[in-house]
Amino acid sequence: MKKLILSCLCILVFIGINPYRSFASWPIGKYRDIVIPSMFLYHQTDRFDRDGHRVKGDPGAGFTSYSANLYVGYGISRRLDFIASVPYVYTQNKFANGDKITNQGLGDLYMGLSYNLVNFNYVRYLSVQVSGIAPLYNHSVELGLGNYGAEVKLMYCGNLPKSIASKGYFNTELAYRRYFDVQGPDQLSFSGTVGYPISHHDQLNLELLFFRSFSSNKAFNPNINNARDYAFFKPSLNYGHQFTRRFSTFIGGYYTPFGKNTGVGYGGSIQAIIKI
Amino acid sequence: MRNINIYLKHTSFWAVLIVVAILLPVTKANAFFLQQKNKEGEVILDAKPANKNALFKAGEEISYKLSVKNTYNEKQEGKFSYIVTSDDGKKIFENTADFSVGAGSSKSLSVKVAPKAAGFYHINFMFNLSAYDDTVRKVFGVNPEAITSELHKPDDFDQFWEETRQQLSKVSPQYKVIFRPDLSTKYKKVYSVEMKSYENLLIRGWLVIPTDGSKFPVHYRVPGYVVELKPNMDNDDYIAFDINVRGNGNSKDVVHINTDNYSTTNIQDKDKYIYRGVYMDCLRGLDFLYSHANLGIDTSKIFVEGGSQGGALAVVTAGLDKRVKVLTMQVPLYADIRDNYSISASYKEQVVPFKMFRQYKNQHPEFTWEQFYATFDYYDPQNFAPMVKCPVLMGIGLLDQFCPPRCSMALFNHLGSTNKEFVCVPNSTHEVDFNYFMFQNLWVREKFRIP
Repeated sequence: MKKLILSCLCILVFIGINPYRSFASWPIGKYRDIVIPSMFLYHQTDRFDRDGHRVKGDPGAGFTSYSANLYVGYGISRRLDFIASVPYVYTQNKFANGDKITNQGLGDLYMGLSYNLVNFNYVRYLSVQVSGIAPLYNHSVELGLGNYGAEVKLMYCGNLPKSIASKGYFNTELAYRRYFDVQGPDQLSFSGTVGYPISHHDQLNLELLFFRSFSSNKAFNPNINNARDYAFFKPSLNYGHQFTRRFSTFIGGYYTPFGKNTGVGYGGSIQAIIKI
Repeated sequence: MRNINIYLKHTSFWAVLIVVAILLPVTKANAFFLQQKNKEGEVILDAKPANKNALFKAGEEISYKLSVKNTYNEKQEGKFSYIVTSDDGKKIFENTADFSVGAGSSKSLSVKVAPKAAGFYHINFMFNLSAYDDTVRKVFGVNPEAITSELHKPDDFDQFWEETRQQLSKVSPQYKVIFRPDLSTKYKKVYSVEMKSYENLLIRGWLVIPTDGSKFPVHYRVPGYVVELKPNMDNDDYIAFDINVRGNGNSKDVVHINTDNYSTTNIQDKDKYIYRGVYMDCLRGLDFLYSHANLGIDTSKIFVEGGSQGGALAVVTAGLDKRVKVLTMQVPLYADIRDNYSISASYKEQVVPFKMFRQYKNQHPEFTWEQFYATFDYYDPQNFAPMVKCPVLMGIGLLDQFCPPRCSMALFNHLGSTNKEFVCVPNSTHEVDFNYFMFQNLWVREKFRIP
């Protein structure tokens, strides 16, 4: 059950913290829309203990999660964007004795405003995003922390120098999230992404995510709402292909090589980016 | 082998000696010059307006921050003064004070000028110091959207251009679209385009079509003053159409006039003035685009762009032809020609366009300014501005003498479009900067909802 909690948290983090990595944090642009449907797969059998040591999972036990996420963004003005995302999550926790626990339903609604503080010659952008989080499920269903929350995120993105790659880009995000519960958690994350074109229509991007969730409750409790203190480092590699100016897709994989009190997770994602 | 080594050692020795012999005097000379420079030193001046774009609101105090760096080995003493003049050279305000800056040190100054009426003003900061005299020249604007100018639109202006368009419509275009594999790339197909325009004159242009897609908006570029436009390979998201109007670039078969005389060709006759055909060439280019939708041209998304003379041509094209959906222009030449005349009269040295007009007048003493305006009032881009209804973006340089900011803003304020913006580049002369073009790119995408 511990694995279940950690895995669910990870999935929520993956979805909530960085739901649109391939779009990064450029302003969407006045009157324009972006829609990103995506699918995520997460699986773990092993976990990291509180000291960061790997703990082998029981034979036959494991946790798998599938989630579908819909992200929409709308450019209210040249600087101000409205963004929202909602996941539909399906989880399956298998135990060594063959028992299974499954949960499914809408996850946490993530909704907010992004404001471009300053642009540097229209090449690089510094923006801030403030968002609210609301659970769309019954508190008894283990699809999220079950608490309302808020997040503030500072984002800096832009083109790579032309000497490195004429259509390359980078994106960095520093986020602080707080769930409104006596035990929090307070969450801090930093992600850095570099996108590099490999052909006229194709690119690779590498993202490094550092994540830390703080809570006074250090216990590793089977109840998802009580497992709130953990950390991990997650690199992910993605391949993107642009079909048209308005439609492109990304497919990628990730792994969690280091963590504390969290799962040794791996999985993949597929995203479609539709610009309207 | 030993001999070779000895030879090499000797060679190295002599080589080093020769190099030292050559370099020593050079180094000494450098040291001497450096010493002299240090002895002479310099005063480095910088003046920054309180508002980054050097535009101030009505009633707002105008202020500049000056930094003065003295690299001399001695204190610099003397006078600091600043003069504010109108853009046509009339002195408005002057102030002088004692000034000193220590050896090898810096000083900051704050200059404040009382609020001014809408317009553009020159402010010169002058330092007359012990060993150094210099002037920093800046221009600032006040409430530019309130600048007005008188329209001198002839009564038969609309009729004149309606008749001209009718004459153009009678010319069979005889379009030729010639694929140029030698200029094309994997992602861009380049075509040379030919067509017959006003008075049956052959003009040419360049069409560049991205291979990556089937339908594109169009970036229609019209040329600067006797400037050759070449295939525009820069943009993946638009079809680029660049037209060389008569006498420009590869459209010189019949009209081939040098820059000194181009703008005065047939200036004495409004019916024969060169720009009558030039303006029609721009409309013929639109005719071409509309009749070639089969090439992937999205005729609902054509934006016309030009700088300097191209800015004027772009305004005229958008004014005369509603098929233009978006207009962008930089430093539009000839705008508000009468005020340009007054402003340029204060210049120590004449520049385009009145350099040519005054030169022509000097060569033709019988030609009067009344005669000039009798023709040019039909061609002043300002008179076309009220007819422009599409979204407009304009860029201006505050130090521009060719197209004084007041004239550009007068034109801007006469535009019939309610969806219009301008960008002011304070330290530019007859040009805008990279930032402007980055913004223009985003701005056009916004207007066309291009992702």
